Amino acid sequence: MSKRPAVQPALHKVIMVGSGGVGKSALTLQFMYDEFVEDYEPTKADSYRKKILLDGEEVQIDILDTAGQEDYAAIRDNYFRSGEGFLCIFSITEDESFQATQEFREQILRVKNDDNIPFLLVGNKSDLDEKRKVTFQEAQDRANKWGVPYVETSAKTRENVDKVFYDLMREIRARKKDENKTSNGRGKDKNKKKKLKCVIL
Amino acid sequence: MGPPPIVTGLSPNEGPPGTRIKIRGEHLGKSPQDLIGLTICGVDCLLAAEWKSENKIIAISGPIKGKGDVIVTTKSGGLGSCNVTFKGYHIATIGPMKESAVWVDETDLYSWGRHSLSPSSYQQEDPLGLSVEDSEKKVPEEDLLNYFPNKSGDITSSNFSPRWFLLENHQTTSFNDLQAGLVHLRRKVQGQKEGQLSFLKANISAVMDQIDTLVNLRESYETDLPKFGHEPTLKLEKAIKESEHKARKLFDEVLSRKDRAEKTRNALNVLSRFRFLFCLPCVIDRNVKKGDYDIVINDYIRVKNLFYKTDVPIFKMALNEVEKRIIDLQKKLHEDLQTMPITVEQQKRLIRYLVNLEAPFECAWDAIKARSDYINKKFKLIHNYHKSLDKPDPKAKNGSASKYSKYNKTSNVDITIVPSSVNFTEEICLSITETFPDLWKIGQAYFSGELQVKVEPGRQVEFKYIVMNVIEVFCKCIRASLIPTTLDKTDRNQIGTLTLPERDEIAVYLPELLQSVRSTYASFIKLDLPNEALDIISLLLLDLRIHCMSIMFQQTTEQVKQLTENWRVNYNGKYTGVTELPIQFLNLIENMIDVVKESVLCIEQREVSLLDNQTAYKEMEKQLNNILTAFYNVLNNLSSSEDYDECQNGVPVVSQLIGTPVSSHKTGSKSDIPIWEHRLLISLSNCLFTKETVLKMIANKFQESGFPPLHGSLNHAKANLEHLEKSILDKYLEQKSDPLVGTIEPSMYLGRFDWHLTVPPSDIRPYIKECINNLICVHSEIIHISPSLLNAVLPQVVETVAEEIYRLMSCVQKFSREGAVQARADISALQDILESYSTEKARKYFQEALDVIPPLDRTDSIIVEDILRQCKARMKIQILCLRKKN
Repeated sequence: MSKRPAVQPALHKVIMVGSGGVGKSALTLQFMYDEFVEDYEPTKADSYRKKILLDGEEVQIDILDTAGQEDYAAIRDNYFRSGEGFLCIFSITEDESFQATQEFREQILRVKNDDNIPFLLVGNKSDLDEKRKVTFQEAQDRANKWGVPYVETSAKTRENVDKVFYDLMREIRARKKDENKTSNGRGKDKNKKKKLKCVIL
Repeated sequence: MGPPPIVTGLSPNEGPPGTRIKIRGEHLGKSPQDLIGLTICGVDCLLAAEWKSENKIIAISGPIKGKGDVIVTTKSGGLGSCNVTFKGYHIATIGPMKESAVWVDETDLYSWGRHSLSPSSYQQEDPLGLSVEDSEKKVPEEDLLNYFPNKSGDITSSNFSPRWFLLENHQTTSFNDLQAGLVHLRRKVQGQKEGQLSFLKANISAVMDQIDTLVNLRESYETDLPKFGHEPTLKLEKAIKESEHKARKLFDEVLSRKDRAEKTRNALNVLSRFRFLFCLPCVIDRNVKKGDYDIVINDYIRVKNLFYKTDVPIFKMALNEVEKRIIDLQKKLHEDLQTMPITVEQQKRLIRYLVNLEAPFECAWDAIKARSDYINKKFKLIHNYHKSLDKPDPKAKNGSASKYSKYNKTSNVDITIVPSSVNFTEEICLSITETFPDLWKIGQAYFSGELQVKVEPGRQVEFKYIVMNVIEVFCKCIRASLIPTTLDKTDRNQIGTLTLPERDEIAVYLPELLQSVRSTYASFIKLDLPNEALDIISLLLLDLRIHCMSIMFQQTTEQVKQLTENWRVNYNGKYTGVTELPIQFLNLIENMIDVVKESVLCIEQREVSLLDNQTAYKEMEKQLNNILTAFYNVLNNLSSSEDYDECQNGVPVVSQLIGTPVSSHKTGSKSDIPIWEHRLLISLSNCLFTKETVLKMIANKFQESGFPPLHGSLNHAKANLEHLEKSILDKYLEQKSDPLVGTIEPSMYLGRFDWHLTVPPSDIRPYIKECINNLICVHSEIIHISPSLLNAVLPQVVETVAEEIYRLMSCVQKFSREGAVQARADISALQDILESYSTEKARKYFQEALDVIPPLDRTDSIIVEDILRQCKARMKIQILCLRKKN
């Protein structure tokens, strides 16, 4: 009993998508390091990973921060394939970025071939309400159409930053549980049972 | 030593050599001097690294290929670890005509510098003079690196490897071509060796150009000399210095401004951290109220990381405040953890919270203990509740029940009042099925390490004890409520029994109770409990099954005892000549077997066949004997209750003697109950039927239902029945023949007749006719009840009649001649008519009776024959009655 099995926390892979300059990196850095980066520097592809507590359970979050400017769909396909959940970000001060979300959504569904992939529509820069171009209702309608939640965030004030990541991870976790149950739940269970028996006797 | 550095973020996460990478993470060194090592994919990049803050380093990637970790080493934290990977790749040389999915920076290839002077030397022709085929199947560069470490395929490189070159460029070239290439190469080398003259010759135009250029250069130098003097570069140097100074002035300002901005930002960051600390108590309060414990825990861990080692008093105060809240929260969570009822999931979550908060409790163990206490408390509660219901009216209820159940039927038991021990058992089964799996699950989670709690030594044994104890108490409770006899006295006192309900009462519920204990057992089996624990319940189940079966049999015995006879004989249907009684008996037993089979005999998970158990088998045999004996007693009682009948009839048997028809008895009785003789016959018939048919059917039924063979009891019952049959028959015969025989003598001498008188015989005498009529009467009586009894009963009667006749004849002192004729005629008639029912013995008696009569002469014999003929003609109907049908 002295050797406790070293439980490696579950890993949830999150991918940030959205047009250039909407604040994907800013959201990521605010979530990861509590800092707000003012200067703009286009991202190519950044990786982040850390351990957090999700509903009392220790999990690892892996964030892939992608390039918004990228015009080459082929490279995005590769990124998307590895993702388990997506935060699709646009800036509420830029209608073009909001329109682009449609394209991102379609590409993700095509690559993942799964209509229920964990996905959150995120309107960033909510602190710049006076420059707002996309109304809340408009975005909410689109999210409803897709059957996904819509959240407005501000990487600057940290409003809802934790929420979007945590919500997405909960969805990913719930989905994994479902898959485990339906696919190989039985066999695994049996193994576990055997082990448990040994433990007590 | 501080915490080791950990890299959690890379921007970007891939790139060619020379990529500028922002490395983010925690504890990446307290100062630039603290950072003493940085490798990216195993390549040391410390030289190019720039320490920005504890969370950020900027580095330039070296010559990396493939994926790898980014490891930071600091003086204060030692060798660090990495969560993310960097992927290095070499940009393939891409010609202007080649397609590419990414944009390739070509400035290196076609930029200023030495290479541009002779582009041909960079984009070399093939030295073998062969066409370089753009072959698709190139040997991967990684493999080449493996084959030839520290070598290069670049022909200008100092560590050039020809083999690499050939593999890279001429993998598919044929040997002949390669030979030709070698000749070409040799020729070229030869050409270069031929000397400067030939080289000049070959490049004559270029040499001329160079000479012209040199001449022009000299001319223009000479014209410029007076203008600029001998040292033209001095002026240039001055100008450069001046511009450099100006540029510095310009940029210094921008740089200092940038520095200041950075400082301000850092200060703001620090401030926001402090604000976080000072607001935390309030935030914790708010989040606790909202139930967002996750956020509280995350915040707490953050604040601990940031301020744990602080020496600033005000921070300490704030931290204390936070600690106080956290301790309160721990207490609250700990209390919640032990407050039942609660689901396992909730408990697990609370335990995780407590572990994350580093609570000083042994929370997982406390949760287990709380659960087991809860189960035990619930047992007590249920027990006390039912005890309190049980107590007030045990006397009233029990008294009345036992008083009536003796005489009245079981239907008297009030079904609507469920005995409390039944309720108790039901409820305790339900309760343990609900609560126990949770206890087991949380225990398993605890020991398998799922709760992330350190398992204290000895807990294993203690947990086992708890589990066994719970199961034991559960079993004892059930035993105490249903079968207290199987418990020790101490246990009985400890648990306290409930009033045991009457047998008839409990019999209704037992199968149901058995079922609920079984379902509890099944749910335990599903939990994969250790065998030791399961065996406790399986023992209980076995006892319960035996008890249940025994009760069923006892109840049936009781019901059999209550069976009464309605004396209505069945003439149609499957079983004729018998009353309902045996059928009812059969039905009772069959019903009982069905119930027992359904409830007790059926084998569920982990159960053995009940009757393989020796005690069970013996118990069943005993009970079966009881049932059969009970039925035997019923039959016996019915056939021997003579007095009961006589007082009903009130007519003395003697009245029969002057030829009173037997049927006249019936007129006297008002009830439906037939007369005594009929009842004897009915009983006899029932007895026979039971012996022949019912017992066989019972045996079959037992066999069908999977009982082991029960010959012992059944044979015993058979013997009993045979005995009974005989005694009934005797009684009947006694009853019938005595009056019949008794009438013969008085009737014979009726009217002062005597054998020595000389009365000329004209017919057989009336006593014969009366005797025959009486026999017909008996015959009809038997036929009326059951024709199958005829052969058993009638010949016996005839035999006694014959014996009496012989006795009477042998007592006659003197026959007159007429008397002898008369007697012979009488006895011959009787002998003839009763022939079909005469036994060997009866025939002998008749013969002997005839021998006593003095012999006759011829004329007398003729008279006898005459009389016989006449009488047979007259008594045709009577004769027909007593003739056996073939």
